[in-house]
Amino acid sequence: MDDLFAPPEHAWRPVSPALARLRRLVLVGAAVVLGAVLVVLGLVLSWPVWLWLVPLLLVAAVAAWGWWLVGRNVRWWGYAEREDELYIKHGALFRTLVVVPYGRMQYVDVQAGPLEQAFKIASVHLHTASPGTSAVIPGLPAAEAARLRDRLTSLGESQAAGL
Amino acid sequence: MSDPALPGEAGVERPYKRLSPLTPLVRSFILVVAMLATSWDDLLRGDLGPLAWLLLALLVAGAVFGAVSWARTKYWIEADELRVDTGIVSRQSRRIRVDRLQGVDIAQPFVARIFGLAELRMDVAGGGTREGSLAFVRLDEAEALREELLARRDRARAATRPGHAGADGEAPVPPRPERELARLDLPTLVVSLLLSAEAGAFLVAAVVLGVAFAVFGQFAGIAGVVPVVIGFALTQFRRLSAFYGFVVTESESGLHVRRGLFERNTQTIALARVQGVVVSEPLLWRRLGWARLDVSVAGYSAGFDGGDGKPSASTAMPVAPRPLVLALARRLLAEAGGPHPDAVALTAPPERARWVSPVGRHFMSGGVGEDLVVSREGLLTRRMHVVPHARVQSLRLHQGVWQHRLGLADLHVDSPPGPVKVRLRHRDAAEARDLLEQENALTRRARRPRDGTAPAQPSPPRVSGG
Repeated sequence: MDDLFAPPEHAWRPVSPALARLRRLVLVGAAVVLGAVLVVLGLVLSWPVWLWLVPLLLVAAVAAWGWWLVGRNVRWWGYAEREDELYIKHGALFRTLVVVPYGRMQYVDVQAGPLEQAFKIASVHLHTASPGTSAVIPGLPAAEAARLRDRLTSLGESQAAGL
Repeated sequence: MSDPALPGEAGVERPYKRLSPLTPLVRSFILVVAMLATSWDDLLRGDLGPLAWLLLALLVAGAVFGAVSWARTKYWIEADELRVDTGIVSRQSRRIRVDRLQGVDIAQPFVARIFGLAELRMDVAGGGTREGSLAFVRLDEAEALREELLARRDRARAATRPGHAGADGEAPVPPRPERELARLDLPTLVVSLLLSAEAGAFLVAAVVLGVAFAVFGQFAGIAGVVPVVIGFALTQFRRLSAFYGFVVTESESGLHVRRGLFERNTQTIALARVQGVVVSEPLLWRRLGWARLDVSVAGYSAGFDGGDGKPSASTAMPVAPRPLVLALARRLLAEAGGPHPDAVALTAPPERARWVSPVGRHFMSGGVGEDLVVSREGLLTRRMHVVPHARVQSLRLHQGVWQHRLGLADLHVDSPPGPVKVRLRHRDAAEARDLLEQENALTRRARRPRDGTAPAQPSPPRVSGG
């Protein structure tokens, strides 16, 4: 299995651990809100204890599983810049490896939402003429994202191949 | 070329042309006929009711509007741009740069065809939508204009790429006359429509009804059958009218497809923009050795279908003997050297793929050839997807949870929107990665010569076969 997703030359460059922190924050936030709603409902409507405690435990269990999965998922993201193409691998359960030749890139996007900005990370999207190309690297440190975008753009221009 | 290079300022006398004066009539033909039909009796009797007066007034107003609109619409070619001025109150001036043209199609809607007129549709780079349209001009004018636009485009492109004259990379080829490559005759088309999947379902339904009749002594649900029959007949008739008189010809600007019974369409497939082809063989055609050919063309995503037999712009041949279809496919792949798709050695997924795809795996195969990457799949309709290495956009490996357990993976080859989707599914994981690297090396090499300046890169080891 690891042969399948072996790095092309050296090692995979990982994405920032801040991505895991961000996703876990969102996950815990959602779980806490859901849990609070359950508890308040249970107390206000004076439900029997099991009626809100069991769902609460379920939420906690799912959140714990999500916590673990986020870590695994973020560890699985990786990219490698080769001379002519970019390799990206991602997905802990459904694993994917994408190879995008620089010459095929139509444009490169860098995105950072408010939360991502707070964690000082950004995601880089690569677009080719095919909608099937799903090349995204999330959670790059802002500086690295900008560097990658500039490098990809200049490589894309110098190697551009017509459709 | 010999045009005055002056920018089109107001007041400068320009050699402009106009649309056909019949344009307003063709555009509102249905309306005119409807109006005349509703008030014909009144007109004949000479005493017009208030409704007829109103309609007549509308007709006159429409005619005036149409005439003014026609008078104010001009087009001409200048400085490698097609310019179209329109508008009565607010004037519009549209400029279409010839070097941005992807293709020029000629369409003849039914009414326009009666009057011998045609619409010129221009496909412009950077969008699936057709931006430019000239409607209506005489058919021969439309054809001449198309040839001129395409010739100007090729010259403009050759000029911007010194040392690379056009897509051929050779000295300008002397003009060739248009040559017919394939023609679909009516009996073949009719038989192919009768042997479609719907016809199969239809037959099964008829048998079921027959059995029901024999058992119960009455037609159960006969009332439900009538709309189905009508629907079936309508679909097949639509296909018949869309594919009627299907002719494929070849000229310098590419392959031309002409088709249609009522509405005649001419489409040009520029070979440089062909992204791949699909050869489909529906179950019922296989005995006759027939196949259908679809093609993906960059920037021509609008209106392709999923290969379920609907008429669409992506069809390069609705039905023909397989050898002819393959010959056409090789024509379309001329940019890749016209390789033979059947020459690519295909291999099947390993035995253990039965746990994820018990039936389908028997019909899956794929392989990487010298110039092409090919995959086949399909139980009922067997489809062969073919993409030249030089047209691969990106490559993907996917491994789901079960595939991970079994050590399998899918290899996807990404193409621009269109019917072509090469995917080698449920391959052995190590083999899939090998294929990915092989294909990657081949696409890298295939892209290189097009860059022009630096072909002297160390080329990767040549890999052939599956």
